Amino acid sequence: MDHHQRWHPTVNEREFIERALQSDLRVDGRRPFDFRRLKILFGREDGSAEVQLGDTRVMGYATAQLVQPYKDRPNEGTLAIFTEFSPMADPAFEPGRPGESAIELGRVVDRGLRESRAVDMESLCVVAGKHVWSVRVDLHILDNGGELNVPDAMVLSLRNLIDAANIAALAALSTFRRPECTVGGEDGQQVTVHDPEVRDPLPLTIHHLPIAVTFAYFGEGNIMVIDPTYKEEAVMGGRMTATINSNGDVCSIQKAGGEGVMSSVIMQCLRIASVKAADITSKIKNEVNSYTSAKALQKVKRLPASALKKDNAPDVAMKESSDGALETQSTKPSSDGQQINKEPPSVVEDNKQEDVEPMLSECNPEAQSETRLTAGGSDETQEAISPKSLKDAVKPKHKIKKKQHSKS
Amino acid sequence: MESRKPPPSALVDNHVVPGDVVLDLTEMTNQTIKLGAGLRQDCDTIQTTSAGRLRLSKPNKYWVESSQKRYIPSVEDTVLGVVVDTKPDNFLVDIKGPNLAFLPVLAFEGGTRRNIPKFEIGTLIYARVVKANSIMNPELSCMDATGKAAEFGQLKDGYMFDTSTGLSRMLLSSPTCPVLEALGKKLSFEIAVGLNGRVWVNAPSPSNVIVVSNAIIKSESLSGIGQRSMVESLLERLS
Repeated sequence: MDHHQRWHPTVNEREFIERALQSDLRVDGRRPFDFRRLKILFGREDGSAEVQLGDTRVMGYATAQLVQPYKDRPNEGTLAIFTEFSPMADPAFEPGRPGESAIELGRVVDRGLRESRAVDMESLCVVAGKHVWSVRVDLHILDNGGELNVPDAMVLSLRNLIDAANIAALAALSTFRRPECTVGGEDGQQVTVHDPEVRDPLPLTIHHLPIAVTFAYFGEGNIMVIDPTYKEEAVMGGRMTATINSNGDVCSIQKAGGEGVMSSVIMQCLRIASVKAADITSKIKNEVNSYTSAKALQKVKRLPASALKKDNAPDVAMKESSDGALETQSTKPSSDGQQINKEPPSVVEDNKQEDVEPMLSECNPEAQSETRLTAGGSDETQEAISPKSLKDAVKPKHKIKKKQHSKS
Repeated sequence: MESRKPPPSALVDNHVVPGDVVLDLTEMTNQTIKLGAGLRQDCDTIQTTSAGRLRLSKPNKYWVESSQKRYIPSVEDTVLGVVVDTKPDNFLVDIKGPNLAFLPVLAFEGGTRRNIPKFEIGTLIYARVVKANSIMNPELSCMDATGKAAEFGQLKDGYMFDTSTGLSRMLLSSPTCPVLEALGKKLSFEIAVGLNGRVWVNAPSPSNVIVVSNAIIKSESLSGIGQRSMVESLLERLS
C-alpha cells in the first residue's frame, strides 16, 4: 500500500493549541513550565531502568565488557549510547534502519553524557592500553507518547523522547554495576574478572547527572513551553534541547532548525532548565537510592533465614562451593570462606559504595542503618538467633578474607 | 412452521476471546441471525475473532464490543475524520481505520457540481459511514439517510483529541454517561463524538475546553462515582 499512515494535526487542533497558549494554557492541563509526570522503574538486574514520562516510555539497559582501549586514550574506558526504535512503540518506526530522529536522539543523549564527562572514564581502565571497560547503554523506545499515528518523516517529531531517553540512560547508569576485576599473574597483566556472587560488583563513578530539558517555541519565539507533547511538537515553530546539571553547568545545547530565538530568551530557558534539572536530579537520586537500599535489604533478609534453618546449612555450603567452581580464574578461597563472604553482602557493598561513588554517599549510611534495623526488627521470631551478633562475628573474618584477596 | 424464538447465546454480555463458540447453528433451524464485528461463521458454529464483550441486540443481532485505538469501519457509524487529500471526485479522509475513507464531493445536502465545498487539508469532518467492507476503502457521507445535512459536516474551532473506541462508545451511551452529566451541570460546551475514537469539544473559553477534554480522557478507567468526584475536583481547581 503506497499510502503510509501518518498523523495529521487538524486545523482545529493547531488553532486551539496556539490560542490556548496565548493565555498560558496547555491542552493537557499543564502550565508552560511543567514536566509530565515522571516515573522511574527498575528491573530485576542492575543497570536496567524504565522511565515513564507521561505516556512516553523508554527503557535503558547498561552493560559492560572488557575491550582494548582506543589508541589515543589508552587509560580511559568507553561509553556508547545505542537507540532502538521498536515498531511496536509506533507503527511509523521502521525496523532495522534507524531514522534521522533516532540518530539525533542517540547523539543528543550521548553528547550530554560524554562531553560533560559525567561518567568517570579513567576509573574504567583495568590495564592501560590493554583492557578497559566499555560501557554500552541501550535505549529502547517502548511507547512513543501512547499514540498510534505520529508523523515519522518530519524532523519535528520525537522531541519529547529526548528528555525521557536521557533520564532512562542516567537511571540505568546509576544502578549499573560492573564486575570487579583484579590484575595479577606473573607478568602483572593477567586480568581476573570476579563472579558477582563472589565479589560484589562495583558501581560507576558518576560525577553529575546531565539532564536534558526540551523547550518548544511558539509564535515567533515569544511563547515557550517545556517538555512538549507530540501535538505541541507538530504545531511549534522551533525547539531547543538544553542539557544541564543540577549545579547549573550547561553540558550541551541542541538547536537544530526552526524559528530563531533571541539570546535573552535562551538565557531565560537555561535558568528554567537548571531549576528543572535540580528537580529531576533529586528525583532520580531518590529513586536510585530507594532501589539500592531495597536491593541491599533483599540480600540481608536471607541472613536470618539461613541462620535459622541450621539443617539446611550443608546444602547452602554445597551450592556455594559449586559457585566457586564456576569462577575458575580467580584465586581459590576455601568454600566456607566464601560462605561467609556471601552472607552479609549488603554491608560489603555499602562500604564500597562510600569509597567509590560520591554521588550515592549521602544516603548510604542511612540505607545501611535502615537495612540493619529492618533486618533485626522485622523478623522478631528470629531475634533469638540474634542476627546482629552473627553479623558482627562474620564481619571481621570477612574483612580478613578481603585483604587476602587483594594481596594475592 | 414453528416460530420458536432463538435461544440467546449464554455468553451475551460476557467477555469472549477469539475462538469462543458463541452459537451452535445446528440447534437453530430456520432462523436468521445477523453478525456484527468480531464474529464469523465456521461451518455450523459462530466463533469470535476478537476479544471483547459479546453484545446482543434483540432479536438477532450479535457483535463483539472491545476497546482499541484502531477503528474498523462499519456501516452507520458516525465518525470524526480528518481530510488528508482532495481529489476531483472525493475527499480522502483519515478515520483511524486501516484505509483512508472516501467522502464523495457530492455527498452533502443539496450537493451539486457547482457547490463543491472547499476543505483544506486538516479539516475536521463529522460524517457517517455508508459503505464498509474489508476489500474497499470505506465511504462516508455528510447526509443522513433522508438526504438532510443533520449535524454532519465540517467542525469549526474547538479541540479534537483521540481516545479509544471503548471510551467514545461510553460517551455516546444512554443514559448520559456520568462524566458528561457532571460536566454539563457546571459548564456549557459542545461535543461531537465519533465512534472511531475521536472526540471534538468546543466551549467559549479555552480553559473550559481543556477541562472538559482532560476530564473525558481521565474518565476512561473510572467508575461512575469516580468520574463524578474527578470532575468535581477538576472544576474546583478551575474556579
